[in-house]
Amino acid sequence: MIMVDCVEMASTSVNPSTLLPLELVDKCIGSRIWVIMKNDKEIVGTLSGFDDYVNMVLEDVVEFENTPDGKKVTKLDTILLNGNHITMLVPGGEGPEV
Amino acid sequence: MVNEKDDSQRKKKESIVDLSKFLDKKVRVKFQGGREATGILKGYDQLLNLVLDGAIEHLRDAEDPTVIGDETRNLGLIVARGTAITVVAPSDGMEQIPNPFANADE
Repeated sequence: MIMVDCVEMASTSVNPSTLLPLELVDKCIGSRIWVIMKNDKEIVGTLSGFDDYVNMVLEDVVEFENTPDGKKVTKLDTILLNGNHITMLVPGGEGPEV
Repeated sequence: MVNEKDDSQRKKKESIVDLSKFLDKKVRVKFQGGREATGILKGYDQLLNLVLDGAIEHLRDAEDPTVIGDETRNLGLIVARGTAITVVAPSDGMEQIPNPFANADE
């Protein structure tokens, strides 16, 4: 369980009634998530967990490369996805249309 | 001179931008790598991660990836990573104009 200590986060007032992005990702643990990278790569998998840098542990992963249009590369088992190049996260997402 | 240093070394890290004015408004977000998306800002954090609702990604031309074309795809509720964001702008306050620098070759 990831607990974020809001007091430490900062005194800049992020009004607590807004939805925190990492909370949304946390709610997605156990479900499918669609991860869009900075380049033309996208990953869909079941989210096992993530860390402060949003490196992610995913299972039952399908990898999509958009440009060459050889869209699918399927990997099973568990992967550690380096968070460095993650651009967008879509909780419950299915991935790009096949 | 030492006093100036104290002032700029505040213990608390205050953000230089205030995104609260964009809450529940449509914003256009540009990313490193050339992606662009628009959506309604539902939440954010200190690190500039965003929650966008009803997000639409604006796709680039297949021939020229530096040009944002007309094609879009719907993404829905997304988290945009602050580490990848370059620009956050109001969606309503923008329009495309002809190049004002068009006659630059003199």
